Amino acid sequence: MQINKDFTIQKVGGAYVAVPVGETSKSFHGMVRLNETGAFLWKALAKADMTEDALVDALLEEYDVAREIAARDVHRVVTLLAENGILV
Amino acid sequence: MFVIELAGVSIGIRNRYPFIERQCRAFLSSETDVAFVVEVTPEEIALESNHGEYSDGYSESICVYRHICEEIAAYNVFLIHGSVIEHEGAAYAFLARSGVGKSTHTRLWLKNIPASRVLNGDKPLLRVEEDGSVTACGTPWNGKENWGENISAPLRAICFLERGEKNEIRAAEEEEILPRLMHQVYLRGERESVERRLVMMDALMRAVPYYVLRCTISDEAALVAYRAMSKIKERGKSDADQ
Repeated sequence: MQINKDFTIQKVGGAYVAVPVGETSKSFHGMVRLNETGAFLWKALAKADMTEDALVDALLEEYDVAREIAARDVHRVVTLLAENGILV
Repeated sequence: MFVIELAGVSIGIRNRYPFIERQCRAFLSSETDVAFVVEVTPEEIALESNHGEYSDGYSESICVYRHICEEIAAYNVFLIHGSVIEHEGAAYAFLARSGVGKSTHTRLWLKNIPASRVLNGDKPLLRVEEDGSVTACGTPWNGKENWGENISAPLRAICFLERGEKNEIRAAEEEEILPRLMHQVYLRGERESVERRLVMMDALMRAVPYYVLRCTISDEAALVAYRAMSKIKERGKSDADQ
C-alpha cells in the first residue's frame, strides 16, 4: 500500500493535517489529523509501497518501543488512512 | 469586467450575469492593475446550479468566490466559515457547526454590546500579516442574513460556540483547537493553494487566544463572551500560555 498522491500533509499547531488536493478534493471531503507517529508512517508510505510488517520494522528503527505496541500503532494509522481513502 | 478589492487584493471579475455585480457593490474598486482575474465557465455554473435549483446568477457568484479563494491564498489570505463581529477596532470570530447558533449569538452581541457590528456573518477572509498577526476582512459573501460590511480589523480572539444550559466561557485546550478549527477553514483546491492555506492555518493557531463558549439564547450569553474575549489585550497570549 501507498499514499494516494492527491493528498498533502502539513504540520499545523502541534499535530499534522492531511487533506485531499486537486480533483480528489472536489469529490472527497475527508481530512485526518495525525500525531508524530502517524506523520512518520505517512512519510514512509509516501516514499514507497510498504506492507504493515515493513512499516512496523521502520517504526522500530526510529522509536524505542515494544514490537506489539508498534504493530498496534501501525494498524491504527493504516486503518485510519484506509478508511479515509488515503491509501492506494 | 469589474474590479473589487478584498482583503487588500484587487480582483477582476468577468461576469456573465448581473447578480454578482450587484452583490459586490460595496467592494468595487477603480484599480486597473489587478492581482488576478476570475471567470467562471457556463459548465461550472450549470453544475453548481444543481439542475436549476439555484439561479444562474447565484451559482456564478458561488463559483467566483471559490476561484477567488483558490487564487488569493498566494496573497496570504484564506476563507474561514464563521461569524465575525467588530467592536472598537478589534474582530471577534465565532465558529460552530451549522445550526448551533452563530447567527443567534451574533444577534445577541448587536443587541447587548454597544457599537458592535457584523464584519461578516458567514464567510469572512483572514489575512496573515508579516508579523504573524491576523486581520479579519469583510467580503460580499455574507450568508443568508446578509450581515457584513467592507471593513477589516485585527483578529482579537476566536470562540467556538456550543449550546449549553448556562453561560460559561473557558480557554480552549491546546489539543481541541485543531479538530474544532480544521472543519471551518476552506481547504479544497489545487495542491499549492491548499498547502499555503494549511501554513496560514498554522499561523492562525498561534495568532490569537481560543475560547469555548457554552451558551444559552440570552443577553447574558453575549456579555459573558464579550467580557472574557475583550480583556485580552496582548495578541497571542491566552491565560493558558502564561
